[in-house]
Amino acid sequence: MKAELELKLQAYLDGELSAGDAREVDASLAHDPEAQQLLAELRTTVGVLRDNEPLMPLPESRDFYWSKIERAIESAQPERVQPLLAFWYSLRRILVPVAGVALVLFLGIASLKVNTVSDPLAHLAEVESLSEHVSSFSFRSQSQNMFVVWLHENADEQAATDSDDDFDDAVLQ
Amino acid sequence: MATKQEHAALTDEKLVRLAQRGDMRAFEELVARHRDKIYARAFSMVRNEDDAVDLSQEAWVKAWQRLKQFQGESSFVTWMTRIVINLCLDHLRKVKRHRAESIELMEEESGGVERQMPVVQVNPTEGLERGEIRQRIDKAMGQLSYEHRTVLILHEFEQLEYKEIAKRMQCSIGTVMSRLFYARRRMANLLASFKREELS
Repeated sequence: MKAELELKLQAYLDGELSAGDAREVDASLAHDPEAQQLLAELRTTVGVLRDNEPLMPLPESRDFYWSKIERAIESAQPERVQPLLAFWYSLRRILVPVAGVALVLFLGIASLKVNTVSDPLAHLAEVESLSEHVSSFSFRSQSQNMFVVWLHENADEQAATDSDDDFDDAVLQ
Repeated sequence: MATKQEHAALTDEKLVRLAQRGDMRAFEELVARHRDKIYARAFSMVRNEDDAVDLSQEAWVKAWQRLKQFQGESSFVTWMTRIVINLCLDHLRKVKRHRAESIELMEEESGGVERQMPVVQVNPTEGLERGEIRQRIDKAMGQLSYEHRTVLILHEFEQLEYKEIAKRMQCSIGTVMSRLFYARRRMANLLASFKREELS
C-alpha cells in the first residue's frame, strides 16, 4: 500500500480529512481488504490507548511536594518595598539623570558667560608690585587676543619718600 | 481564613478564584487535587522520575505566577497540563541537543520501517486486566523515541489536532502524521509481542 494512502487512512480515522477526501477513502476502503485491516489495527490501537492511559502516582508526600512549590513561589516573588520608599526609588531614577543634564547645562552657560563679559576689568589678571619703586599690572584681552603688561615707576612716591626723609632729618636736627 | 477541609469541599473554579486573589491555601488544594495527573503527564513525556518531579513543580510555580491570565475557557487541569507539556517539550529539546542519535531513532526518522511491520489483526490486550494493560502500554511507550512518544501522548491522551501538535513540536503537519502513524504501528506490534511472550 502506498505511504500516501496509509496516512490518508489515518487522517480519515482521526477526522482530519476534508469531506471530499473522506468520501474518496470510503470508496477505496470498500474494495481494498488490506486497507480495511490496517484501519482496523489503527482503530484498535487508538481505543486501547485512550481507555488505558498509564497511571503514575507522584512519588512524594503531599506536604513535601507542596513545601518545595511554596518555597519556589516565595523566592520568585519580588521583595515588597514600602510605598514611600518605592516612590523615592522611582523618583531617584528620574532625578539623577535630570540633575546630570542640568549640571552640564549650567557649566556650559557659565563658561559662555565668562567668555562674553564686556567689562574690561574682568580681564584684569594681576597687579603686582615688583619692588617699592615699580609696580606692574597685566591683563589679557580676548577680543584683541593679546596679553598686556603695564609697568609703572613709582616716581611720585619716591619723591614723597625722599622729602619725608629730609623732613625727618630736619626735625631731628 | 478557610481551613483545609473547607477548601477540599470547593470546586476547582471556586479554588481558582480564591487563588487568583492570593489565597495560597486554595492553590495548595488545587495542587493536592491534580498533582498526580500533572506528574504523570510529565513522566510519560520525559520518562525520568526526578526530571518529572522537577518539571511538574516548575509547572505549578508558573501556574501560580500566571493565574490571573486563566479565564476559564478550558478546565483548570487542562490549562495546567498545557503548561507542563510545554515545559517538558523545552526540556526534551535541550536534552536532545546533547544526546547522540541512536540507530533505532534514525531508522524511525527515515521512515518505511513501519510498513514492514505486519498488521496486528487481533486485539493484543484482549482478556487482560486493566492494570496489566496499563503496565504494558507504559512499557511499550518506554521503547519509543521521544518524538514518537510525544506525538502519541499529545494526540491520544491530550486529544490535540495535527495542526496544534505540529505547532507545539515545531514541525510540519506531514511530520506529525508520519510520526503518529509509526508510533501507532509500533505500539500495536509491541503489545502483540508482549502477548506472544506471555503465551510462550
